[in-house]
Amino acid sequence: MKSEEVYDTWKEEKSQIDIRQDFADEVMNQVYQYAQKKTKRLLDVQWLIELISAHPLAKAGLIAAGAVAGFIRVAFVVCMFLSS
Amino acid sequence: MTSEVELIRQILEGDIESFSLLVERYQKPVVRMIKNMTDTRKSCEDIAQDVFFTAYKKLASFDPARSSFSTWLFTIARNKSLNALKKKRTLAMRELPEKTDPSNPSDDLARKEFFIELDRRLQALPFKQKTAFVLAEFEKLPYEQIAQIEGVRIGTIKSRISRAKKKLRSALKNLEGDIL
Repeated sequence: MKSEEVYDTWKEEKSQIDIRQDFADEVMNQVYQYAQKKTKRLLDVQWLIELISAHPLAKAGLIAAGAVAGFIRVAFVVCMFLSS
Repeated sequence: MTSEVELIRQILEGDIESFSLLVERYQKPVVRMIKNMTDTRKSCEDIAQDVFFTAYKKLASFDPARSSFSTWLFTIARNKSLNALKKKRTLAMRELPEKTDPSNPSDDLARKEFFIELDRRLQALPFKQKTAFVLAEFEKLPYEQIAQIEGVRIGTIKSRISRAKKKLRSALKNLEGDIL
């Protein structure tokens, strides 16, 4: 057998693959578990607090939302005071 | 057949089952790529599972305008392979095969020795050359897609593949004199 032939047969062999039957099922099990956990977690307030505190952007967003709400409240009180 | 972009949209809207279609479509190429990249028969399926799981978790970040799903998936597989290789870097390379009986050139054993040597040389290639070679020769991906996965120009990919082939062929030439 010539080296070229060997090389081609080797490439051919490397292109073959057998994977276990339940490969896709195992991936999907992992995915379902993850999705279930994620849904459960969204209802968990403690987890939401931890999630927000772990992400600087989420923290900044929350602070900005708080500042806007505070500003609106102050403006509302001032308007009420001036109108009376 | 539903387009991949449509499938991904369905998955992101909560139809998890649709993800299994993507897994079934790409399981063989991904497992094969990882097997050829890492040479770990036992754990390549575990790494491949991790690739698909990561793909699911990060699916919202996939941008069809930037690349195809397969390019994106192979990029994850490439990175996971690199991590796996870093972990097993300490493992020793396989010993060079013992020479077989030169009087019987068609011997299966001689061919096996060639294969072992080629496997060894493939694993010894620098990671970037090996990735380009595996994706082009075993996965039959076009050079443009490989360039996208690797984040380099097509010319660079061509040159990496050419260097990898040269090294593998030179290994064969060296052995040819000994075995055949």
